[in-house]
Amino acid sequence: MDWFNTPDEPADGKAALMSVSELSALIGGLLDDPRVQDIRVKGEVTNYKHHGRGHRYFSLSEKGGGATAAVIKCVMWRSDADRLAFSPAEGMEVVVSGSVTVYAPHGAYQLQVKKMEKAGLGEKYLLVEQWKKELAAEGLFAAERKRPLPCFPARVGVVTSETGAVIHDIRNVIGRRYPIEIIISPTAVQGEEAHREIAAAIRRLAGRVDVLIVARGGGSFEDLFPFNHPDVVRAITQSPVPVVSAIGHEVDITLADLAADLRAPTPSAAAELVVPDRAVLLLQLQELQRQMNASLLGRVAWARDEVTGLRDRLRPQRFLRKLDERKTATADLGDRLDRGLQSRLGRERLILKELKTALESRSPLAVLARGYCVAEKDGVVVRGTGMVAEGDRLKLRMHDGSSRVIVERVDLDGNV
Amino acid sequence: MWTLTETYEAKIEQLRKIIDKIEDGNTSLDESIKLYEQGAALIKQCETLLAGAEIKITTLSRDA
Repeated sequence: MDWFNTPDEPADGKAALMSVSELSALIGGLLDDPRVQDIRVKGEVTNYKHHGRGHRYFSLSEKGGGATAAVIKCVMWRSDADRLAFSPAEGMEVVVSGSVTVYAPHGAYQLQVKKMEKAGLGEKYLLVEQWKKELAAEGLFAAERKRPLPCFPARVGVVTSETGAVIHDIRNVIGRRYPIEIIISPTAVQGEEAHREIAAAIRRLAGRVDVLIVARGGGSFEDLFPFNHPDVVRAITQSPVPVVSAIGHEVDITLADLAADLRAPTPSAAAELVVPDRAVLLLQLQELQRQMNASLLGRVAWARDEVTGLRDRLRPQRFLRKLDERKTATADLGDRLDRGLQSRLGRERLILKELKTALESRSPLAVLARGYCVAEKDGVVVRGTGMVAEGDRLKLRMHDGSSRVIVERVDLDGNV
Repeated sequence: MWTLTETYEAKIEQLRKIIDKIEDGNTSLDESIKLYEQGAALIKQCETLLAGAEIKITTLSRDA
């Protein structure tokens, strides 16, 4: 070691002395090389640590001949890690995207990871694209295949996991809107064998329900992968009743969604699509009631108008004329009756007068007027001498009055 | 087996037909009133159906 040279002066033939930070900065500058920026690297996850603050630290390793051939340290900041579609785990084969950087305090270079996906995913994407082409060629996604949903289903089938939020949401919505029978056909919704289970669960509901929902909560492309499988697509298109799909989030469109008769953005939305809303039905019922009332009132008003019309047609013409005719006839009859009665009365009066004259001519008063008088004794008419004696008091009735007399003598005529 | 909802749909359909008939000038007033009574009964039944609907949940066996 050269104890005498000042640090700043380059010794003869030797490299210039630099500080650690200068070296670190130089290395950092070297790594700005585009060949190590925005690159994709495939490897196995090792030493995976999920830091409390949300950052992920791990290594990507590559094995060769049984031993580890190469390792690079990786970091994924929380802001990027939050967008991970899956939970990375020890030993998982992944493909990461990012850039190599230097971390001066540790004197280490590391791969700063922006995105991570499972290895083999690319192949899966390609597979889905291929299936999509084939199934579309069979016409399984055609718009003409789509069937309308029944307005009033009696039973709704649900193909989903027995546990979890999906079935809970569907049950809540149906219970609130229009409570009917729900038949759950349980199935695994992810994993290697899930597509077979899902297809079987769909087929199991045939003949038992009026409409069915195939649903799954949100997940990564890999999680939703079974819903892209042709087995599931075929089971949906072969369902005897319409199928509503609600798989993953709205942005994730699986082939099952394309095959379904209707696609809902969420399981709750699917439930809303399959059953009517009881509150709306009640309103509709009220509207029908109102309509029926109005139609009957209309019918009654129409009948009333009809009666009024008929009455108007009847009144002024024939009816009034007929009434007049009758009135005239009645008046004539009255006149005739009157006249008849009058002449009859006249005749009767005449007869009565004659009878009166005849009667008067036979009246005792008329006899008295001619100069006769009637003797009465104690109110009894004296008809002969035998009825009176000397000294009797008699009453002599004349035509214009009477007198009282006393009998002087009674003479009986000899020839009587 | 399909009682509740099929019945409901049928009743609503019947109700619409009744209203059409009442509005039809060829229906006598007498008949209209009878139809109205039928309609009112149907509405009552529908309300009862809606009010009485209950959720029922069954889970199929995976082996079936």
